[in-house]
Amino acid sequence: MIELHARTRRISGSRLEELLGRYDARSVVDPLMGLPTHLNYLKRHGIAVHGGDVLEWFVRAGEGLVVNDFTILRDIEVAEIVEMLPGRIYPLDRFKAWEGVFFTEEQCAYLGVWHDNVRNLRSDGQTGLAILGLWFVLSYWLQKAHYPDDMQDLPPSELAWNYLRKTERWVGSNMLRNTVRQSDVLATVSSQRADALFLAPPARNAFRSSDARIWMWEAWWQGNPYYNIEHSYRDSLFGARSADEHGYARAFATVLSAAREYPVIIVQATKERLHEFEPHLRNARRNVDIVTPYGNEVYLVGTK
Amino acid sequence: MTLFERVGANSSPEPGALADVLSLFGAVADAAAGSPPEATPSIASLAVWMARLAELSQEEADALYFAALLRNLGALGNPAFGKGEPLPARLAEMHRWDIPVSGARLCESIRPLPRPTADLVRWSAERWDGTGYPDQLRWHGIPRAAQALHLACTYVRFADREEALATIAGESGQAFAPEQTRTFVMWYHACGGEIEPVGIPLHALDAKLATTGEIVDTLADRIDAHNGTPGRWRRVLQRAEHAAAALQLSPSDRTQLACAVRFFAAGEIDDAILEAERFGPMARLGVKNRAKHAVAAAALLERSTTLGAAAPLLRARAEWYDGTGKPDGLRHEAIPPAAMVLSACIAYDALEQSAREKTREDHRRPLDRIETASGTQFDPRVVSALAQTVQERT
Repeated sequence: MIELHARTRRISGSRLEELLGRYDARSVVDPLMGLPTHLNYLKRHGIAVHGGDVLEWFVRAGEGLVVNDFTILRDIEVAEIVEMLPGRIYPLDRFKAWEGVFFTEEQCAYLGVWHDNVRNLRSDGQTGLAILGLWFVLSYWLQKAHYPDDMQDLPPSELAWNYLRKTERWVGSNMLRNTVRQSDVLATVSSQRADALFLAPPARNAFRSSDARIWMWEAWWQGNPYYNIEHSYRDSLFGARSADEHGYARAFATVLSAAREYPVIIVQATKERLHEFEPHLRNARRNVDIVTPYGNEVYLVGTK
Repeated sequence: MTLFERVGANSSPEPGALADVLSLFGAVADAAAGSPPEATPSIASLAVWMARLAELSQEEADALYFAALLRNLGALGNPAFGKGEPLPARLAEMHRWDIPVSGARLCESIRPLPRPTADLVRWSAERWDGTGYPDQLRWHGIPRAAQALHLACTYVRFADREEALATIAGESGQAFAPEQTRTFVMWYHACGGEIEPVGIPLHALDAKLATTGEIVDTLADRIDAHNGTPGRWRRVLQRAEHAAAALQLSPSDRTQLACAVRFFAAGEIDDAILEAERFGPMARLGVKNRAKHAVAAAALLERSTTLGAAAPLLRARAEWYDGTGKPDGLRHEAIPPAAMVLSACIAYDALEQSAREKTREDHRRPLDRIETASGTQFDPRVVSALAQTVQERT
């Protein structure tokens, strides 16, 4: 059975909205966005958002949640995703490598069907929403493997239908231009302009111990069960190049240096990791406020 | 200095009084959200039991109690529950997602509360699988105490315990963490689903940080914001204070009046249309409607041991001096004089606002209209006192 992380980082859009409001920021760039649900929250509350990540499925999900203003998955489109379409030939063994290891034969067949159906969707917005909706199914299955008696045994198509229909609720417009891009941190930071830069830096070497629910979905989207996300991070700033302490510190300082034009920089950290970021931010910014709202959450806010 | 403060509500309160006022705040918010206030103690108790079974810290368990009490605070003033034409379903749903965040922000402004309270309210509607709101947090990113509150709210919502159990078990891995569902099921089987009441953790309140007066004023502001009548209670209070002074009401009556002024609008909170918009403050047709609001406001205030003494005043504010009012048909001296002051001041304010907006056909001076009802709807002595107050101020 695959290990699932016992801790999950909390990135709260509502908290970020409060922090941005405190510094009069109406637009924000997040170059390490991950699953951009926090950007979706900010968008819904009238803030222009721009995100970036190196993993393609995060970016695709962002196209559904962040860029997309009005496209939803209607019943007819959901029906075209969740089941095999007559006349289409499906490579049902695409994810056979996961069979008996992580998933059942039926689940692997569905993963193959869904992969093809989503790849055939006609809009980026719908594709993004479908990727997100089906990811909830994958997460459910992996969780159920840990708690077989505690969670309901729901048919794959029913589960997928429920989650895909739920994605509709997050689609909305803020009448502003919002973007996502698949690129490394520095490229995103330097290609965008906004009132604030938000950074939630990954832990050192985090890419080597990525949660199965994250790396597995990238593999699914690439259609390759053997896909190794270390490839995606190989040349990234917070990837292999910053595996040691000094390399990591250098990488963080490089980001701050590239972000010199941003009026506000917000760094989300924890109490334990505060010392990794605070000195660099103090070097880069005249004023640094430390906000500790709840539990282990710490935000460093640097202004000029 | 306001009348309410003059009678001592600006000194540091006992934690019990503070908790009582917070409970009232929660009950008004429950009414705004359409949630029965009777359910709140059960939700708070179950949430605390879940926290204890999960071995959460005492601080979190204490905060959880208050978060349960105040979980609907954000509904006060939320457009989804506002007056007038209902919003389109989708828009209303999006506004409803903001309830936890608005509630959290309001909790942050109530300084005596334990620190984690606000964030437990903020994340009380998050779902384990990441499809909740407002932040779509997922898995262990949701504080366990907030998950406990979500579970308690779900359980208490059902009249049938077996059905509640089945629903919660069926949502394992979706709305609730599987570990937590397992803890809940163990609790359910250990005590047959019967929630053992937990007392309010008074020790967790820092009563030095705010006065009950400040909290009551915040609540009154929120009620007015919810009803779309910002500043109403402050205007009514100003008139009522002067009229009460002119009538030489006793200090006790004036205290109750000050309290009633802050809460009369709570009766209108779950009504789609304000009473003044429906019939006008002087219309006989509006008596039944006004009485309904008066009774609702009195019922809310009766729950409070600290402020409950003002409830009869609220109930009597829709009575007419000639005995043709409602809900009890009281007449002349049987109506508390402070209730007559309240009634006249509310009507005067509605007329004044209406005249200011010039939305009514009748543009006579508000005071003239009040005077026409002297001896029928209003006590003549109160009308004279109000007239004196208005004339002095103009």
